[in-house]
Amino acid sequence: MKAIEVRDLKKYYREVKAVDGVTFDVEEGEFFGFLGPNGAGKSTTIRILTTLTRPTSGKAVVAGYDVVKDGKQVRSKIGLVSDKLILYDRLTVLENLLFFGRLYNMEKKTMMERAEELLTMLDLWERRNTQASKLSTGMKQKVNIARALLPRPEILFLDEPTIGLDPITTRKIRDFVKRLNEEGMTIVYTTHLLHEAETLCDRVAIINKGKIVALDTPRNLKRLFTEREVVEFELERPVEINLDCCRVLENVGNYYKVETTDLSRFVEELGKLPVKVRYIKSEEPSLEDIFVKIAGGE
Amino acid sequence: MKHTLHIAWKDLLFLLRSPGMMVAFLLFPIVMMLMLSYVFPNQTSQQMEGKIGVVSQDPAFSLMAKSENVIFYKSLEDLARGLMRGDVMVGVLVPQGFTKGFLTGEAKLKVIPNPKNPQMAVLMTQMIPNMMQSPSLSTGRRMDVELSGVDGGEFNYYDFTAPGLMAMIAILSVSTGLAAAITRERELGTLDGIMVAPISRGSIVVGKVLSQVARGLIQALLILGVSILFFNVQMVGSIWNVILLLILGTFSFIGIGVIVTAGMKSQETAQLMISMINFPMMFFSGVFFPVEQMPKFAHYVSKVLPLTYAADALRNVMILGAGLSEIWMDIVVLLGFAVVTSSLATVMFPRLVKD
Ligand SMILES: Nc1ncnc2c1ncn2[C@@H]1O[C@H](COP(=O)(O)OP(=O)(O)OP(=O)(O)O)[C@@H](O)[C@H]1O
Ligand SMILES: [Mg+2]
Repeated sequence: MKAIEVRDLKKYYREVKAVDGVTFDVEEGEFFGFLGPNGAGKSTTIRILTTLTRPTSGKAVVAGYDVVKDGKQVRSKIGLVSDKLILYDRLTVLENLLFFGRLYNMEKKTMMERAEELLTMLDLWERRNTQASKLSTGMKQKVNIARALLPRPEILFLDEPTIGLDPITTRKIRDFVKRLNEEGMTIVYTTHLLHEAETLCDRVAIINKGKIVALDTPRNLKRLFTEREVVEFELERPVEINLDCCRVLENVGNYYKVETTDLSRFVEELGKLPVKVRYIKSEEPSLEDIFVKIAGGE
Repeated sequence: MKHTLHIAWKDLLFLLRSPGMMVAFLLFPIVMMLMLSYVFPNQTSQQMEGKIGVVSQDPAFSLMAKSENVIFYKSLEDLARGLMRGDVMVGVLVPQGFTKGFLTGEAKLKVIPNPKNPQMAVLMTQMIPNMMQSPSLSTGRRMDVELSGVDGGEFNYYDFTAPGLMAMIAILSVSTGLAAAITRERELGTLDGIMVAPISRGSIVVGKVLSQVARGLIQALLILGVSILFFNVQMVGSIWNVILLLILGTFSFIGIGVIVTAGMKSQETAQLMISMINFPMMFFSGVFFPVEQMPKFAHYVSKVLPLTYAADALRNVMILGAGLSEIWMDIVVLLGFAVVTSSLATVMFPRLVKD
């Protein structure tokens, strides 16, 4: 059974097509990424999958249940870390966990054990009796994640969970989520950070203006979008580069950045020039380049 | 049901956790009472209208004072009922030996106000002694006229305002409270946390409603306590009737906030709309000034406001000691309001939480 099946899902807010016919599957135990610029429709997709909003049309099945018809069953299988913190400022860390845990019919004892386990893993057990308002942004997000994990969901949705956090906390949270995935949890993760999607996800759907423009493993995505390579090099002295196998992207003094379709021919031609090459580097294009390309164009 | 109580309790806990809100919550009723002592009109140019209800313990007086403007009652309880029904506008208790005292210039009279419009009674207490001193009558005669409740206790202005104020606080706090509580949670994002849990949407609404009703009720009872302790307000009727009316009052209006908020595009417009409903309601339902003193159109407006009925019934219970049999009309009307607004709110609620 697939963890998530989505078919031609649409969500229109009047004339705004927030989600405009997306189709994809998420396998059980997969780490699935949604990558897209602001307003791409990531959050809206997550909200539909977590039953918080109804789709205009299309079908979505989560953990075997239809999100529209069997909302309650879907909700019992999922956890949500949304783009807003789901925490009460005036409750303590532990009270927050217990409040939400009870909504899942969890027993006090089970909740306490689970809370201790999660908070210890996230280095927050000592702070369990602190009011949420007195925690730092990073700590709040950790509690927020613990909250979502308390009822042991089968599928965890995270909507840009590292936004606004420092690199160390970001790293911790990524590692933590990655570990959950390795232990078998299905993860759906949205981000607009490319290296994040690249390092975490098994597969990434690139979404723009409500449509999925590409869906594959990070590795394949790169291959798919890069028939050209970018080469940086430095010459001994500036000369005019006028080769038909490449296009100059940037030139500052004797530094050049060019784009080529045929790397070996380019190197050959470069060797024929009457100047010495001081430095040359061919960079594998990052998802970033792909992303800018897709997001920029249609 | 378990989830319902759970959510309700969380909302109430919040009130306890925020010292600022707690202070406002406790002080508001007291400040209101104090303010009203300045607001209440003492002087008036009203004419007397309506009949006078008299309980006479002086047989000689009963014979003398036959008039079509006077209705005689056998007992104070009967008079109270007459006042409740609006048969008479003011009550007068003529004690034994009144006629004799009148001749010797030592007469006493008790005026029992109609809780709906105590002005009339205030007017009488001022007019009667003046009449006695007019030149056409022989001078030197005095008459003591004092305001009194049906139970013989002293009547003061707070007796008039306290019941209305209680009803008002209870009703106003829910009219804004419920929608505000939901909107706040939506903006915070925590509503998503509740909505994404496998519980029914109904228990979320009912839980929130319960906490609001409890809040309104606590504030109203606080006013009652303050009124009785510090302002000598009388409590003739049963406390259970008071509580029943307060709960009914809050339910009659509980849906308004949800209806308006769900119907409006933005939270700000909704708040404005609710104030636009609440403010006129405060004035037109006779909480501060008797509706009888207002222009004619205000009478019609007052008829469509649940607060009018709640305040009226509460006054009858607290001042005249009315029982369920005397206030059932008000109860039916309040229930009607409750059914209409709650059903509308239930229909509109999804619009408030969705998207
Ligand atoms: N409740 C709503 N009412 C109207 N329009 C909405 C609503 N929610 C989202 N939209 C619109 O839908 C589009 C997609 O929004 P969405 O929040 O899904 O984007 P996103 O990919 O999550 O962006 P971000 O990276 O900024 O979080 C946007 O144009 C947004 O304005
Ligand atoms: Mg978003």
